[in-house]
Order: sequence, then C-alpha cells, then structure tokens
Amino acid sequence: MQTQEHRFSFSGTGSEYFRIWIVNLVLSILTLGIYSAWAKVRRMQYFYRNTRLNESSFDYHGKAIAILKGRLIAVTLFASYYIFIKVMPLLGLAIGLLIASVMPYLLVISFRFRLYNSSYRGLRFGFAGSIKSAYVTFLALPIATLFTLYLLAPFTHQRIKAYQHNNSRFGQSAFSFNAGAGGFYAIYIFAFLQFIVIASLLAFGAFSMFKGHTANASRETMVLLFVLAVYALLIVASLLIVPYFISRIQNLVWNHTELGKHRFESSLSARGLAWIIFSNFILIVMTIGLFKPFADIRMARYRIEHMALIPAGNIDEFIASEQQQVSAAGTETAEIFDLDIGF
Amino acid sequence: MKTVDAKYFDGRSARQQAVTLSIAHGLLEVHGNGLLRKLPLSGIRISAKLGSAPRLLHFADSGHCEVNNHADFEALLLEAGIKPQSLLSRLEHSWRHALVATLLAIVCVIAAFYWGLPWIANIAAARIPASAVLAIDTHFLKAVDASLMQPSKLSAARQSEISNEFNALQNTDGIPLHHLAFRSSKKIGANAFALPGGTIIVTDQLIALADNDEEILAVLTHELGHVSERHPLRQLLQSSVVGLAMTWYLGDISSLLAAAPTLLLETGYSRNFERRADHYAATMLRMNGIPPARLADILEKLETSHSANKKSKEQSSRIAQLFSTHPDTGQRILELRSEGAE
Repeated sequence: MQTQEHRFSFSGTGSEYFRIWIVNLVLSILTLGIYSAWAKVRRMQYFYRNTRLNESSFDYHGKAIAILKGRLIAVTLFASYYIFIKVMPLLGLAIGLLIASVMPYLLVISFRFRLYNSSYRGLRFGFAGSIKSAYVTFLALPIATLFTLYLLAPFTHQRIKAYQHNNSRFGQSAFSFNAGAGGFYAIYIFAFLQFIVIASLLAFGAFSMFKGHTANASRETMVLLFVLAVYALLIVASLLIVPYFISRIQNLVWNHTELGKHRFESSLSARGLAWIIFSNFILIVMTIGLFKPFADIRMARYRIEHMALIPAGNIDEFIASEQQQVSAAGTETAEIFDLDIGF
Repeated sequence: MKTVDAKYFDGRSARQQAVTLSIAHGLLEVHGNGLLRKLPLSGIRISAKLGSAPRLLHFADSGHCEVNNHADFEALLLEAGIKPQSLLSRLEHSWRHALVATLLAIVCVIAAFYWGLPWIANIAAARIPASAVLAIDTHFLKAVDASLMQPSKLSAARQSEISNEFNALQNTDGIPLHHLAFRSSKKIGANAFALPGGTIIVTDQLIALADNDEEILAVLTHELGHVSERHPLRQLLQSSVVGLAMTWYLGDISSLLAAAPTLLLETGYSRNFERRADHYAATMLRMNGIPPARLADILEKLETSHSANKKSKEQSSRIAQLFSTHPDTGQRILELRSEGAE
C-alpha cells in the first residue's frame, strides 16, 4: 500500500522564540549558568513541540538536573584541558588523552539520553548502540583516518552515521541505514575540488591585483595581505562549500534511512542553505548577536521542512517498546546525565 | 460547561484520537469516539505554556493529550481554578520583558567583561601553584628561542652590571620573585616583557636604545610592576576565558572568526595593566632616587623606534594600531611626566 508522503512542518517563529530565548538567557546569566540546563529544556521543547508530522508534534522530556550534571562534567573536562595545555602542556596533553579515551562512552550516553527523551505521539525513541562499537567508530576509525591522511574520512563518516541510525528505534520499530561509503566519498571529493577551484581563483585574483605593487611593498604588508587572503578564502569557502557539504550529507543520510518499512526523504538545496547561512551571519554580526534566536529558527525551519516521511502503511501502527514501560518506573540509565555533544 | 478539542494518545501505540476535554469536580474528562476517561487533576502534568507550541497533558499511566487551541484551554483552566500560565511563561510572552531582559543581558555581559572576569582571574591567578606558573615561562622561552629570539650579544660583565643595578633597587612592599633574561631579537626590536612566572625578558635592542642605565631600570621596574600584580598570568587567564566564550557563542558560524574580536577585546585589559605597572614603576623609581620621567623618556624612544620600523605602509600600521597592546603611549608619557613633577 503506497500512501502519500507526510511532510515535516515547523511552526516556531523568530519573534516568539526571541522572547523565550532572551528571558532564559538572562536567567542563566543571573544564576551564573546553572539555569542554562533548564533553559536548554525550554529550548528543546520549543523546537520539538513546534515540529509536526502528520498533525502531531514531537516532545522533549530531558530532565534539567541530568543536563546540569552533564554540563558540569563537560565543563570540568574541557576547561581543565584548555587551561592546562597553556599552563602545563604535559598535564594538558594527558587530560586531552583522557578526554579522547572516554569520548566514545560519553557519546553513547548522550545519544541514549537524547533519543530516550524524544517522543512522537507518546512513543519514545531509543538508542541501543553498544559501547564496544562506539570505541571502534569514534576512536579507532578517527585515529586510522588521521594516519591515512584523511583518505578514510568519508568512510569514517559513513560508519558514524550507520552506527547512529542502525541503533536507533522508535517505539519497537528499528531504524536502518543503507547508504554505502561511495556516496560519502563522492560528496567529499566534490567539496575538495570546489575548495581547490576557489583557492586558485582567489590566488590568481590576488596575484593579478598586486602584480605591479609587490616591488615596493614591505615584508610586513605582504604577510598582512597573505593573512587577509587566507581569511577571505576561509570565509568564501565556508559560505560556498559548507552549505553544499551539509545539504548533500543530510540528503544522503536521510534518503537512505528507513524506519521499519517507512522511508524518509530529504531535499535540502545547497543554494537555499547558503543563503540562510550567509544572511544569518551578516545579521548576527550587525545585531551583536541578538539575531541568533531568529537565525536558529530560520535554520531549523529550512532543515525540518525539507524532510518528509514516505509511509509504507499506517503510521498509527507503531507500538511502544517494552523498555518504555520499564523506564516509566524510573530505571533508565540514560537519565543519569546528558552531554551536549552534537553530530 | 467549557470544552476544548484535543488529540489523545494512549502511550502504547502511535494512534491518535480526536477528543474533547472538560473539567468537572476536580476530574478531567477525556471524551472521544468510544472513549471516556475521567482522571483526577492532581495526577496530571500540564506543560507550561511555551509560545504557541501545543500544550501537553501527561497522565499518570503514560497516556497524553495535545492541545492546540490556547485560548479555549486557558479559559478551561481558569474556570477550574488553575492558573493558566506560569510566571515564566508570562515573562517569556511579553515584549516589555524581552526588552528589559535584552538590556539586562547587555549590561551583564559588559559588567562580566570589565569587572567579573578580571576579578575572577585575579583570584585564580593567586591560587595557581608557583611551579605550574614557572613551567609556562620555560615553555614560552623554549618556543620563542627557537624562532623569534637569539642569545644576547651583551658581554657577561654588562649583563651582570645591569642585573646588579636592578637588584640594588628597593621597594616598600619588597621585591616580587623575578628573573632577568637577556635576549637579542631583530624581529621584536627594542622591547621588554614579563612572563607569568616572573621572567623579565629584555632585548639587546632596548639596551642599545637607552641613553643611560636609569632608563633601562625604569623599563625593568615597569615590568616588575606587571610581575608584582601577576598581570601576565591574569591576562592569560582572561584571554583564555574570552576566547572560550567567543568560540562558544560564534561557534556555529566559524571558530576562526572568533579569534579576531578576541584580539580586539584583549587590548582593553592591557591598557589598564600598563597604567598600573607605570604607577608601580613611578613609585619604586622615586623611592630609589630615579625620576619617573626616565620611563617617559624611554617610552618616547620606543614609540619612535617602533613607528620608524613601521614606516612602510600606512594601511598596515593603521591595522597594526588596532591590535596594539600599547595604544595610548602619549597619554601614559604625559601622566608619568606629571607624576614626576608632583
């Protein structure tokens, strides 16, 4: 039975979210950051509850105390690394290694927390990835990537997405992921070619512009121009290549993800995303950051509304997992703490 | 009796059911096609209003209702004697509160930057063990000796002469732990700077620039002022925090762009620290019978020597000025001269 696709829709607005954001920001500042955990719950709920699929909204159930614990752990780890690497480089390095070695475990915890605390139509999502595969995916593969001069990067990216999506479920139904590494390689190679083209165009432009003037310019001026050129390159590249990369990866990942027999469709365009990133950036700078909540809403709307579920049957038929019944009694390990680690 | 339309989910399947809600005698009635549930209000968690996002009523048995009609739902709650909106929801709703919050946020950020951060950095700097701070100096010297600086070409006799003159100086509160390091650097030119652990680096170029040893001592006491108030360590801590905050805030855009504003903001601290070190130097110099104007003299020479080095291009020096950590030298020279005249 082929039914019509269900588009995801988003009803949050910038003006409404701004008021929520600023009040929660001030409360966070006045409580020296402690309230920020509650502010995060508010923010997640605003975005989840305004996201609808087939007329029902999503919901977020994370407990602020769990988020606060996670934040304390993360801040302690990263701040001590950041400070010690400057003050006592050896100790800093040791802390860095410690962070790297616990990172896969922390990632699994945070995936569990985020999925378990997300729901749609009263059914919770869940994550069942093993810690062992997390160490392969988030530690062994990235190290191998480093040693192969990033030739393995697209493969590692594919393994990360496969690990995340193959181990997720909604109620009792499992998600599955069937994109091979080939698609990832194609996107990475094309993004790299774009970078080469942009870099050579900029280099050529700069060269022809200053060809006549280089003789009487001091070394200092040359260095300054070089630094400015590198900045220009990075800004242009991030405005052109980053939107391409983000949109193609999201499309690839979701077009190859299934939930039971149901499929997803993602149709982000690089151009649309580039415009949002560019205009958000300009407006955030011009408003000393006050445009940030509006920017977040625009980005969320664009990404959410370009997604659809293509059902292969009645989506009413999902049922709650046994674990959900258990966790209602409060024995879910995922509630211990959350970490703000995003992918 | 007031009613409101809602959607009901039983928490066991994804099936949604249209229902109407009403409240009577402390019970919520969920009424739908073939469904009638009466639940005590005390066992229901009603989500706080959050913009125009749907409101959710969670039941004790994991079922829940989703309500999209805010006006009718609030009327229903009001009639049942329940406050329809929490204080937070009301704060989040009004533009007047948003405006106050915006101003408050800006004031807080500015206050944190100008007072909070220096205050905390000062406390933290006092608590970092001396051995750790000394390790920074060793690390820093190792890094710059490889690239920016060469061993001093001054004779050992001249070096110890300057050291002895400097060590002979007295101060009321005693002299903080320090260590003179002589280096030569064409790239840096005439300069002296203090490191967190009390190492004071002075370049051959600065010693050559000075017309007499009193000027050298003036610069060294200025650096000693930095050491005495732990300016280098405080500056390091402050800029680390500012850097972290910038990266966190602008992180979504680009961590690279975050570096530029940090550089601009850091100069603000340096100005204040320079003034404090000038004051320290002036007091200490006067105690030892050296006029504070000596510091003004050498500052003037440093200023002209640096701008002579940068004679090249106007545009580059204008940008360099923005990043300069010694911006208003003219002002400082005036202050030092007037301090000497007192």
